[in-house]
Amino acid sequence: MTVAAAERSRTVQWIGATAVGAAILAAVLIAWKGSELLLDATANGLSLGAIYALLALGFVIIFKATQVVNFAHGAIAALGAFFVAYFATVLNFPGRLATGLPAWLQWSLSVVVAVFVIAFAGLVIERVTIRPMVGEPLFAIAMVTIGLDIVVRTVTVDFIGADPRPLGDPWAASTRELGSVTVADTEIVTFFAALVLVAAVAWFFRSKTGVAMRATAFDQEAARAQGISVGRIFAISWMIGAALAGIAGVFSSLFPRAATGVGPTTAFFAFRAFPAIILGGLDSIVGAVVGGFAIGLAESFAGAYFTWSGLGSGFAGIVPYLVMLLVLLIRPYGLFGTEEIRRV
Amino acid sequence: MRGRPNLYVSYEAEQSLLPTWTQRIAATLVVLVLVLIPLGGGLEVGESSFRPLGFLADADWLKILTQVGIFAVAALGLNILTGVAGQVSLGHAFFMAIGAYTAAVLGGEVGAEGFFGPRWGMGLPIWIWLPAAGIIAALIGMLVAPTAVRVRGLYLAFVTLGLVFIGEWAYRTFVSITGGSQSGREFPGFEIRLWKEETPLLDLTRDGPSWLVVNWVDWLLGPWINFPDEMSEEAKTFLFVLILAVVFVVLAKNLQRTRIGRSFMAIRDRDIAAEIMGVGDAKAKLQAFAISSFYAGVAGALFAAFVGRLIPESFNLFLSVQVLAMILIGGAGTVAGTLLGSSFVILLPRLVRDFSSWLTETVEEGSGVLAWVGDFFVSTGQDDWGLVSTASGLTPGLSVAQLNAVLYGALIIVFLIFEPLGLYGIWIRIRNYWKGWPFTY
Amino acid sequence: MRGRWKLVVALLAFALVAAACGDDDDTAATTAATTAAPATTAAPGTTAAPGTTAAPATTAAPAEILTDVGVDLDAGVIKVGLLSDLTGVFGALVSPIVVGHEVYWDDVNAKGGVNGLTVELVIEDTEYLVDKHVQLYEELKDDVVAFGHSTGSPHTVAIREALEEDGIFAIPLTWYSGWSDPAINANLLPHGVPYCIEAMNLLDYITTTEGGTKVAVVSLPGDYGQDSAQGAKKAIDALDLELVYDGEGQIIPGQDLKPIADAIVASEADIVFITGSPGNVPEIYGQAIAQGFVARWTGALPSWNPAYIAPGSPIKDAIERDWLGDSYIALWSSPGAAVVRDLVATYRPDQTPHDFIGEGVVEAIIMHQALLKAYELGDMTQAGLVAAAKSIANLDFGDLAPPEDYVSAADDRLQRTSAVLFKPSQADLAAGGTGVEIIETNYVSPLAESYVFEETCFSI
Repeated sequence: MTVAAAERSRTVQWIGATAVGAAILAAVLIAWKGSELLLDATANGLSLGAIYALLALGFVIIFKATQVVNFAHGAIAALGAFFVAYFATVLNFPGRLATGLPAWLQWSLSVVVAVFVIAFAGLVIERVTIRPMVGEPLFAIAMVTIGLDIVVRTVTVDFIGADPRPLGDPWAASTRELGSVTVADTEIVTFFAALVLVAAVAWFFRSKTGVAMRATAFDQEAARAQGISVGRIFAISWMIGAALAGIAGVFSSLFPRAATGVGPTTAFFAFRAFPAIILGGLDSIVGAVVGGFAIGLAESFAGAYFTWSGLGSGFAGIVPYLVMLLVLLIRPYGLFGTEEIRRV
Repeated sequence: MRGRPNLYVSYEAEQSLLPTWTQRIAATLVVLVLVLIPLGGGLEVGESSFRPLGFLADADWLKILTQVGIFAVAALGLNILTGVAGQVSLGHAFFMAIGAYTAAVLGGEVGAEGFFGPRWGMGLPIWIWLPAAGIIAALIGMLVAPTAVRVRGLYLAFVTLGLVFIGEWAYRTFVSITGGSQSGREFPGFEIRLWKEETPLLDLTRDGPSWLVVNWVDWLLGPWINFPDEMSEEAKTFLFVLILAVVFVVLAKNLQRTRIGRSFMAIRDRDIAAEIMGVGDAKAKLQAFAISSFYAGVAGALFAAFVGRLIPESFNLFLSVQVLAMILIGGAGTVAGTLLGSSFVILLPRLVRDFSSWLTETVEEGSGVLAWVGDFFVSTGQDDWGLVSTASGLTPGLSVAQLNAVLYGALIIVFLIFEPLGLYGIWIRIRNYWKGWPFTY
Repeated sequence: MRGRWKLVVALLAFALVAAACGDDDDTAATTAATTAAPATTAAPGTTAAPGTTAAPATTAAPAEILTDVGVDLDAGVIKVGLLSDLTGVFGALVSPIVVGHEVYWDDVNAKGGVNGLTVELVIEDTEYLVDKHVQLYEELKDDVVAFGHSTGSPHTVAIREALEEDGIFAIPLTWYSGWSDPAINANLLPHGVPYCIEAMNLLDYITTTEGGTKVAVVSLPGDYGQDSAQGAKKAIDALDLELVYDGEGQIIPGQDLKPIADAIVASEADIVFITGSPGNVPEIYGQAIAQGFVARWTGALPSWNPAYIAPGSPIKDAIERDWLGDSYIALWSSPGAAVVRDLVATYRPDQTPHDFIGEGVVEAIIMHQALLKAYELGDMTQAGLVAAAKSIANLDFGDLAPPEDYVSAADDRLQRTSAVLFKPSQADLAAGGTGVEIIETNYVSPLAESYVFEETCFSI
């Protein structure tokens, strides 16, 4: 058996084992509290996990390419959500130029414009504050992003104003029945949008720039020697990371999760995605997606099933961290992270 | 041989705490100046008084300086773990909380009733609860340490971040210790008792006679120097924290030249190489977590006692990040840098606030070029556009409070871009420039 | 070299310890002496205020006026401190309250000030952090004569003893029921109906006028949420209702709140009593109505935010149907708030209307009355102002807020009147108001009327 084939069969084994485990868990939970709660928790977990996955994906892309731990990720997400609110409700741009289009398309165009703006903001952030730090200690750069977080968050809160801003999405509070559970339209949109974006990122990594990016992540000097502009790769990864953060910020500010839109606390939502990032592995794209959905589901299931009052209030909120801790003790570099080769 | 800064003729000389005379004199001067601050910011010699630091003797400045001292202890602890032993931790706030709540349980009021039932408190004196705060935190730190053997680098940072969030849940749940979320509890004050007697031996929480300068100092120096007869509670607390901080600084500095300290550095620089040379990875990390958590526990207890009442939400991620900022801005791995960093992080918001109130005053009332230039940046009302708005309510532009936050964040960025090794790096650069002056090297 | 250095350190440490233990007798003696009077009071015997009754609006100038901190007769300035949360979690609510203070004092100063003295506000941002709050209090206490407000209950509790020791009074910007308890309040002058009594008024009104027996109670932890939740539970007991879901203290900000919404839906409640913040109430509400849940929703005033029914808000129609709230002061559109609207129109014509501007005006009126009274008594020291404020027996705010009494016993002075009951109204918002339709003014429920206040509903 070749190495690749062995790896493939291992992957199949893993997926099989996970599926069997999930089925047993599902059976136990249905026997305990019925199938309706299970489906409801799954739906909530998937939409929550989709947001986490997008946040984790942006974070991991930035980390993989530039080795920067971006603590300003949440602030960028909130800024992106604000831009959507601004374009879609205040400016009505580009919807005012194309009045004949359906509402969802008009709103999506506003999102596209806002995503370009937030990607440009990511570029500016990289050029002004991260580029001068190239080659400096990892944690000095992380500290710079903490400073950035304070600045971007404060400016965003000032932009938003005293009250939260609704994003002006066409789905508002509409819901639909999916079998026995009621799901908000926005949650369905979130889930499928995340799938599309993940597919797009996967496709991008197979393109020429994507390969250059992976080469840079692997070895910056070798990549330079091959004629890859490492600076350009840094810029592109920050633009993609910021764009993904912005989109995640938008979905975290929709009904029913934040019924009144983007507000002063939106920026803190990203902290909830940290366990997802670590669970999957800091530098793994696949890990970010798997980790995102896993943490989303774990949090949702804990909220639905761990209702015993002896656990104190808000126990579900720390379940993602407990899961993260457990996984790290078994696999110290996350589920899919690259093991650091330790040399003397 | 004298006067050559980098020339040591014996191992003993090289390893001494303060190897050069410049350092010894500077350290003595710093301690002397700090002692003078609570005495009124200077001295009264005969009839003439000399108080160049008089403004620092105000209650509010003394409080800020006390906070610098407390956070210096916390930052020294994190520096031992992160700077010296190379284990990045975002969980320092958790260990500070352990210290604070140990102090609260051991030193807290006996038989206090909270809304959720009895609130634990044993009324023990400070010489029990302060060391115990450190010891319990150190024990918990030793429980966490084994994860550091398994989980490394950034992953460890996020594991310790998890501690902060798990801690937040624990504080909410154990209400008889913490007083409950958003309610909080009282912490024991700086009252020094032998045991549980009614009147404390020494009460730092009230204004009173200056207890530092007792009869014999007065007898010795009295004819020439007039010491203040009264001392405010802020001055006393500051002196108390100063003494503790000096002890912890000396211990931290000393640690770096002991066998343990050097094993930390070996682990930081290359753990496998260290293990080959007989430095136990697990043992060194256990010691690093224990010592660091001890510092954090004591600092947490001091902080809680200093503020008097805290809600559990105070021990959040922001506190951890603040302490980490201190050592990274100051210069990780060095004691001097840690002290500079903690001063910088605590003093900066206050200085920025003073600056912006000066700016707005100049613009609103002043005249001349400065006010004219400032007016471009400052808006005073709804019709006026500017980067910063001095009017309250919903006006365009950042509010003064937001300006403070933005300046704070921007200064962190600018400092680190300018000198990634922190304030200590800037100092080294200046020193090296003057060492070779007028030559460039 | 090392040995000598160690010796020096050891000697120094010993000297300090010896010094520390040296003169404990003196400390104890003067401690007793210094606590009796604040540090710089000009003359002894000024703290005892005569037990006078109501203060007239204008006062004759006494022969001599005592001052210490914050009042400068030569410069003609009185400094009042505000410990405001401008950028913390309640920043959006406190900012308009500060505007209320500003427009009120702008008006007073324009009309000649407090007997010729100009009032200046010293505003500091506490960011809703307890340690910052304490630190700013220490900074301001040597600069201002009193505090026009102090934001947050744990924060105010943290400075409570210091206020008493320093002899300074403050107006708490929180409606915790403990402020009506003399054992807790000390130098604090509250106003408005406390969270606990507010809950009784709301539940009594709703069950009487609309019916409903099954109540779900959800709240934030701490004084705000749990004082309110305790009031709701007392009402449930007294009115013979059924508590179908007890979520007291279950709202944890920054976590997925769907489980709470699920529990509310599963409880099939007729009435949901929710006390949270504008950040988490819409999330719980949204998650509940996403499952097709319909009930009457109500809760403490800070749970409500006009942004819920702003154009573009996904929940605007649902919450207009479901919400019913009350207020401690007359809201922007009430007839009683005409004075607030006039002040804003005169001094801040561009200010967006906000219900909480009136709260700032009410606080400023309390401060104004205390200053006038102190002036009349000839003692404008910090301690003199405390005495003057505590002798106000009947403070009338017109229709802006129910009258207050700072002299009587706890049960008598407890405020039981909700200034207004309201329902959300998109029409009012569109017409330039703050989005409320007033359905009752100065409402006291029979339950609150008969409630005997012995101790605070929730102790912290």
